[in-house]
Amino acid sequence: MEKNARLSRYLVPALLILVGAGFLVYGATDGEAAAVIKKAINICMECIGLG
Amino acid sequence: MKQALLWLFGLEEYQLEEPAVKAGIAASLVLAAACIAVFIVLLAKKRLRLRACGRKVWDRTRLILQGTWAVLTNSFMVGWFKGAIYQGKLKYLCTPGLNCYSCPGAWGACPIGALQAVLDEFDAKSSWRDPETGFYVKTPSYYIAFYVIGFIMIIGALCGRLVCGILCPFGWVQELLYKIPVKKLRVSRDPERIKLYKNPALAKLALGLDRVLRYFKYAFLIVMVVCLPLFYEASPWFCKYVCPSGMLLGGIPLMSLNKGLAESAGSLTALKLSILGFTAVLSIFLYRPFCRYICPLGAIYSLFNPISLYRYGIDDSSCKRGKGCSACRNACPMGIDPVKAPNSLECIRCGTCAATCPHKAIHAGFKLKTAEGTAIRTRRSKQQ
Repeated sequence: MEKNARLSRYLVPALLILVGAGFLVYGATDGEAAAVIKKAINICMECIGLG
Repeated sequence: MKQALLWLFGLEEYQLEEPAVKAGIAASLVLAAACIAVFIVLLAKKRLRLRACGRKVWDRTRLILQGTWAVLTNSFMVGWFKGAIYQGKLKYLCTPGLNCYSCPGAWGACPIGALQAVLDEFDAKSSWRDPETGFYVKTPSYYIAFYVIGFIMIIGALCGRLVCGILCPFGWVQELLYKIPVKKLRVSRDPERIKLYKNPALAKLALGLDRVLRYFKYAFLIVMVVCLPLFYEASPWFCKYVCPSGMLLGGIPLMSLNKGLAESAGSLTALKLSILGFTAVLSIFLYRPFCRYICPLGAIYSLFNPISLYRYGIDDSSCKRGKGCSACRNACPMGIDPVKAPNSLECIRCGTCAATCPHKAIHAGFKLKTAEGTAIRTRRSKQQ
């Protein structure tokens, strides 16, 4: 029982990290990273409250 | 070396001729070295051992950590000297906390800003103008922002809301304001303490209001960060109409450094300044009001608190709650009961409870174990 509890304690976050890494890679190849940097390298007038 | 610097700073070779750029690069490198030195000193002095420090030492250490991280992640000094922002490749990456990417010194992207940026993308070919209303109907390119969600999942699964407690610049600013010595608004969950208040009924009302308002951050996340950009108008709704961090870290510095931008100030500027001012004033009296009630990034990270690798746990054999001790509950600045819910969604993992506990019953870390090998409870207690 204790072994199962320890397994689930580490298994769930480990799976989430793996899935997260997979999402990261998929999103990057799908053009999302380009969308992020396109926004991030230009001054976002709305974000800084100008207007 | 020169090419590496040009890549890192996102500059062209001709820009190195400018004195401001040279000074900015030098200042950035010095600042980064200083920040790393601070981390090394804290490690060497064992100030990062949460349970070994007393509360005062840990509070001071955490403020230093937060400040150092805020400086490090906003140390692009070329931006500060020229009134511009970083345009290099590091902006593909998100900083873990709420750090506006339009801050002159920001090296990385804000996760919430990045999330909205992806959801705002629309496919021009399948978008069309409604002949009746005249509105331009946009088809989103992405309904799920896998890239940003993946990043948030990795950070959340590693440490949950530890980012809020240690790595968020806006959280640090609120904590500094809370240091101003005036009477504080403390919402107590200790029933014995509530009885001692002049007006216990008011204290209970405040507690009820606090409980309800804590759900607002999830509403901000779902409505303003996700639904409105996707289904109503492609605009960074949360950043534009709410986020005080963007005004503090981006708007005010850029308006001060860049006269052209300052002339663009209008009604939106007035709104954002008001929100920032209100948040700042409230932070003097109430601990981290933005983190409690509004921050959508904290809302996301909170969902990982019960399941992250970094967790809090209670050694029930050492805990003296049954004998009347409430030191951790009274010390918790977020107003939660660490013994009842050691990995509460509201916990920002500041470590105040563990540093305060006189019986060393609260453990925090990636591996939770006592020297004697007794069990450490990480889940909510039904008995307390």
